[in-house]
Amino acid sequence: MNFDTTIGEENISTLHIEGKILGNATETFRKEMETQLQTGHDKLVVDLTNVPLIDSSALGAIVTTLKSCQESGGKLVLLNPQKAVQEVLEVTHLATVIEIYDTEESARDAFM
Amino acid sequence: MAETILVVDDDLDILELLKMNLEPEGYNVRTASDGDSAVQSACMDPPDLILLDVMMPHKNGFQVIEELKNIEETKSVPVILVTARGQTEDKVRGLDTGADDYITKPFDLREVTARVEAVLGRTRPIKYINPLMRAMGEGFSEKGLEQLAGHLQAAAAIQKKLLPEQAPSLDGFDIATLLQSSTSVSGDFYDFIPLSETQIGIVLGDVKGNGIPAALLMVMIRTALRLLCHEEDTPALILKRINDLVARDTEADLFATMIYGILDTETSTFTYSNGGHCYPLHWNTTRNIDVLKTGGMLIGAFEEATFTTGTCLLAPGDILVFYTDGITETEAGDDPGSDGNRGVSENSEQSDVYPDAIPTDTFYGGDRLAVCLSKNAALSASALCEAVVNDLASFSGSTQTPDDRALIVIKRDV
Repeated sequence: MNFDTTIGEENISTLHIEGKILGNATETFRKEMETQLQTGHDKLVVDLTNVPLIDSSALGAIVTTLKSCQESGGKLVLLNPQKAVQEVLEVTHLATVIEIYDTEESARDAFM
Repeated sequence: MAETILVVDDDLDILELLKMNLEPEGYNVRTASDGDSAVQSACMDPPDLILLDVMMPHKNGFQVIEELKNIEETKSVPVILVTARGQTEDKVRGLDTGADDYITKPFDLREVTARVEAVLGRTRPIKYINPLMRAMGEGFSEKGLEQLAGHLQAAAAIQKKLLPEQAPSLDGFDIATLLQSSTSVSGDFYDFIPLSETQIGIVLGDVKGNGIPAALLMVMIRTALRLLCHEEDTPALILKRINDLVARDTEADLFATMIYGILDTETSTFTYSNGGHCYPLHWNTTRNIDVLKTGGMLIGAFEEATFTTGTCLLAPGDILVFYTDGITETEAGDDPGSDGNRGVSENSEQSDVYPDAIPTDTFYGGDRLAVCLSKNAALSASALCEAVVNDLASFSGSTQTPDDRALIVIKRDV
């Protein structure tokens, strides 16, 4: 897994992730989101366009971060999850509590 | 989850050979062809084990070990050194520097696999404890670690005892189960709870997270369920109470997915609620597959979660299959079985029995499980479990279990 975080307008952080978020990569993913929160970035877009699969620990990291963002008045949204990931989000019903967008523009608009 | 081995050698043929030898054993293999990229790769994403050649240009194996031992992320990753035959000095020096074992070149591939497995077998229990070690901080000691390893083994033994040794026998129904664990403490669990003469509670779940905290959560859920199933009437209310209990008492990243239902042998109904778990399959004799989706959110992450109860009617010959994601997320091997098990999508008759399935060729998916079920529907429950295991092995090209797998098959007698 590789990632690249960009900070754009309105202090919105976008995490572009490439590859499966599994095993040790999950810890890297969790840490990166934590780092964003600790540096005051609680508006997070997690770009899942290039993520074929995530494991349950990664789901846990998303849930924890989602809650932390909400507590500090921010938000976490997901961008463009692929079929296998989308299915996991639906089966677990996380799709009902996390905002999911198809395009980077609509994801960013979610914070306006 | 498959363990990852980083193989480091400047000889690309040896890299390829080791990769080809280790992957069929169920390991993920990454390679690096020099010392610097090995250190970089290990830091980026620490592997479970490093197989490290000593004789490399620029930076040799000893220098690599020394660097790895000085980096927080990699200092506890076990290393097996690969040395040239007869270089006793190398072996001694290697073990002094902190290598866990060594292999001499030219090596026997079976020896490599055996040593890798032996070293991982020793270090695996310790890995679980890493989160606890971090929590203990400076107070951490070797002795404390040994004690924790002991506790972990005791926890694993208790957990094993909690699982029913055999599926219950019920009038008019044939029930079989399967549980395969990748590690000593499994996240998958199931239970059968007699409720009355004609009713039995059935639960299958998957506790997310790792090691001791996850094992404790599983015990907590199982105990709560055993108590609550006599108090509450509907599966939805039972899941709601378990959810609230777990959500209140644990961190948000510790959660479970589970399905709980009541099988009534008199009415031949299954009344259930699905808390974010992989949809169970209901195969009926008209050759249709229904998925059991009714329920709600995964258990334990949100206090505000709500659940609903669904019912399905089981006709003679109908089959219910419950499973965990270790089955559907089994990854394809490089060499799939020659009987064309991966070619499910080419079979137009059955391709859309399970429309929500993962459609790629990378994972086994609910679609293949549904097809396997349809093909083998005439078998007994335990033979069906076996058929699924065989299908998984031919799909992944390996009999190893990289993840925990649980399966319950319930078949109404014809």
